[in-house]
Amino acid sequence: MSFKLRKILKPQFWETRLLLAKIFYLFMFSLLFLRLFYLQIIKHRYYLRKAKERSVVRYVLKAPRGQIITSDGVIIATNRAVFQLYVDVDAIKGKEDKVFLRLSKLLKESFGELKERYAFGRKYSFGRVLLKRNLKWNEVARVITRLYYLPGVSIEVESERYYPWGKPYFHLVGYVARITKREYMRKKDQGYSIEDYIGRRGIERAFEKELKGRNGYIEIEKDAYGRLGKIIKKVKPIPGKDLVLTVRHRYQMAAYKLLKGKSAAFVAISPKGAILAMVSTPAVDPQKFIEGFSYREWRRIQKNPFHPLTNKVLMPYPPGSTFKVITAFAGLEAGVIKNVFQTIYCPGYFVYKRRRFGCWKSHGNVNFFKAIYESCDTYFYWVASSLDVDFLARVAKKFGLGEKTGLNWAEEKRGIVPTREWKKKVFKTIWYPGETLYFAIGQGYLSATPLQMARAYMAIANGGSLYKIWVVKAIRDPISKQEKYFSPVIETKIVPRDGRYFYWIQKALIETVEKGTGKAAKVKGLWVAGKTGTAQVISSKWLKERKGRRWEHHAWFVSYAGRTQPEIITAVLVEHGGHGGSVAAPIAGEFYKECFNMTSENRP
Amino acid sequence: MKIARLKKREVLKSFLVENFGIFLTILALVVISSVNQLSMGGTKSYFWRNLLWHFIGLIVFFVIFLSIDYRKITLKAVYLLYTGLLILIGIMDLFKTRWINLGFISIQPSEFIKPLLALIFSLEAEKASSSVLPSRVFLKLLLTMGIGILLIFITDLDYAFIIGVTFFTFLLFLGVPKRIFFSLLAVVILIVVTLGPFAWRHVLKPHQKGRIYGYLHPEKYASSWGYQMNQSLIAIGSGGLFGQGFKKGWSTRLNYLPAKRTDLAFSVWAESWGFIGVTIFLFLYAYLLYYTLYVSSMARDWLGKYLSFVIGLILFWQAFFNIGGATGLLPMTSIPLPFLSYGGSITISVYFLLSLLFNIAFKRYFFK
Repeated sequence: MSFKLRKILKPQFWETRLLLAKIFYLFMFSLLFLRLFYLQIIKHRYYLRKAKERSVVRYVLKAPRGQIITSDGVIIATNRAVFQLYVDVDAIKGKEDKVFLRLSKLLKESFGELKERYAFGRKYSFGRVLLKRNLKWNEVARVITRLYYLPGVSIEVESERYYPWGKPYFHLVGYVARITKREYMRKKDQGYSIEDYIGRRGIERAFEKELKGRNGYIEIEKDAYGRLGKIIKKVKPIPGKDLVLTVRHRYQMAAYKLLKGKSAAFVAISPKGAILAMVSTPAVDPQKFIEGFSYREWRRIQKNPFHPLTNKVLMPYPPGSTFKVITAFAGLEAGVIKNVFQTIYCPGYFVYKRRRFGCWKSHGNVNFFKAIYESCDTYFYWVASSLDVDFLARVAKKFGLGEKTGLNWAEEKRGIVPTREWKKKVFKTIWYPGETLYFAIGQGYLSATPLQMARAYMAIANGGSLYKIWVVKAIRDPISKQEKYFSPVIETKIVPRDGRYFYWIQKALIETVEKGTGKAAKVKGLWVAGKTGTAQVISSKWLKERKGRRWEHHAWFVSYAGRTQPEIITAVLVEHGGHGGSVAAPIAGEFYKECFNMTSENRP
Repeated sequence: MKIARLKKREVLKSFLVENFGIFLTILALVVISSVNQLSMGGTKSYFWRNLLWHFIGLIVFFVIFLSIDYRKITLKAVYLLYTGLLILIGIMDLFKTRWINLGFISIQPSEFIKPLLALIFSLEAEKASSSVLPSRVFLKLLLTMGIGILLIFITDLDYAFIIGVTFFTFLLFLGVPKRIFFSLLAVVILIVVTLGPFAWRHVLKPHQKGRIYGYLHPEKYASSWGYQMNQSLIAIGSGGLFGQGFKKGWSTRLNYLPAKRTDLAFSVWAESWGFIGVTIFLFLYAYLLYYTLYVSSMARDWLGKYLSFVIGLILFWQAFFNIGGATGLLPMTSIPLPFLSYGGSITISVYFLLSLLFNIAFKRYFFK
């Protein structure tokens, strides 16, 4: 059906305006369209993240840190459940004084101290501030019943690191502390949360990865009124792995008892390189790092001239006479000492290139053995006078000096084994032959850590196997109870030209304890071999002018002992202790007595 | 008589066939509206109430579409209605309210100013149909609009603003005498420059100023002035290409979006159905606008041309201000979006406008 339309009204001006309107609508709608494209496609991820941040609360489920257990089953680092009082920074903004005043009354603490702790916590960590830890039951009750007028305050049960034995294990185990802002920025991709603890020093740091575990989390919907809704996602935390150490608790405690009050380092290793005890004094109670130091306590630790925070077992010192066995080995290898019974006359000094090198006393005729057990410098000056410095350095390196011991701790130092090249690099001068003589008696530029020295003696004791030092025997999964064991690893095998070299050195070391400088380490019924050392901090001439402990010699005693064969190798270093034979050797002797139960009469 | 009726039925049939697209579009928009109200979760009562309003709107639509011929609307009656409405609004101004609460529903009278002004403008312009409005008519219309705006302004700044913008653009399209236009422009600029700072300091209320702040920095004022804007942007942005799904949107479900049923209903749609859903809505809406222009072009008389055109303008500005506000292009305004926002007054007024539009589209077949 068609209609006849009588009047057709299509004026030009109106059609133009309709076209204009069409363009106008199109333009405006394109604006909206582009804007929506920008928001929904280009910025989609950004807004989705914001939406999630806004409407999903995420609680971190902290993974319990792995325990550390000694080889005889004593737990030396564990976790315990404690009540912690946290303060939410955003929630108490503007109400700080009110809240702290109420808290100070409830907790019976001074207002100023609370505020100071809060300011300190805000400065060094993210997230909520841990205002008070380890609350007692009655404190928990008092606070929790009044939470309604303490906005932003919350009490939580948390597992906290606990070191039951305190100081003796400080340098070995290390400690944990709350993650700092900088560390968090660096490590947040590795699963650290802002309220996490992180290992500092010792095993806690070196085995952080194993001990840490993985945090879980729980994501809950939160609506606009702050009500929590359904759980979106829950990831269970994976607890950290337990570490079983090679260290023996009894040895560690014995060593600490002997070193207490001195500034000293002690390390005991097995003939296969496992650490049995490692003590450095003075020490700090690791628990204090979790509880927090007062300002004065912290100042005292930092100002302490004996550096309680440093692990002296891993710090380099001039090894003194304890190095002579390596010189002796080098002399044998190089063929300088052709006959161990050949004697050299020691008038109390040695003249080399028209210079006098002093010995600590006149020994008369000395052969190889006497030179070691009497610790005669002249004999070794004589050996060194025909040795090349680079050869001696090579031998020292073979014994693990100047290298890391395989422990793989960040705090471990390499020490210095000087060579021509080294001297050229550091001092920009050539090597003077006289310096080799100082090198040969463990003075001069040479420095080695007590652990390195113990390791070198280990190689002597076990006939030339230089094992890597290790401290963790097994890593145990706390859930599946699966254990991963470690076994000793030989780094190098020292093969002497003549099989008797080690035997001779061992004989000389036994004689040192039997009748030489190390007599103080003698233990009845035990087989002890060792070498004393007295390392000069400054030359003896200067020492006479300067009195005071700071300039005293370091006392060394590196030894090994056992009933029928070497079982324990120890290195003792007493900083500024004086003579190795009178200060360091008795410590080793007492330690062996303690270890082999020699104090009781009914035992051989 | 019988033949005439028969003829009318035949015409209706052919009208339906020819304009099938636009009927489908409007149906789709109504479906979108219902789905959107349903997807907001919570109580279902809003969904049913929304449907009820659409149903009432549909009755209004059919009554007017079938019984009234737009050509028979007299200027006098419209003026009378307009005056009555203005008196009502004036009384409401005294009580500082923009709603008349009848217990079970509340009505927003300012919503009905728009269709009435549309009729007045079209009728007045028809009398003097030429490419440029005579100055006398222009000033008369400006005055008519001005009085309404002034009265609404007191309680409802947003409505006053959008009515001003809509009908001023309409005047521009009707053809403003050049002289008057430029002098008016000069006066407006002068007023803005001299009184603007004064108004900013003394007239605008903090919440109105806050909207400007929120518009300029939605994230900085996320917890105060920018809250609505910020939440709306998050809702829209988190929708992405495909949307979070029916009843799944975080912002909607967890009540982060304020006024989600009314002003920010578009954000709900954008969050649930994403860019695809938004595109569909915009295309449907744009087609409706295109249709108003089409009707305007095809109409057989000036009244029809003007009326259908201004209906398009009203629908356009409503949508533009609402979506622009939700997406952060413009400051937030509390202007409902036809078809998506829940509300009795807006639904009825939209159906009224649509009935006029189809009336025009339909009546063109009956010109002799």
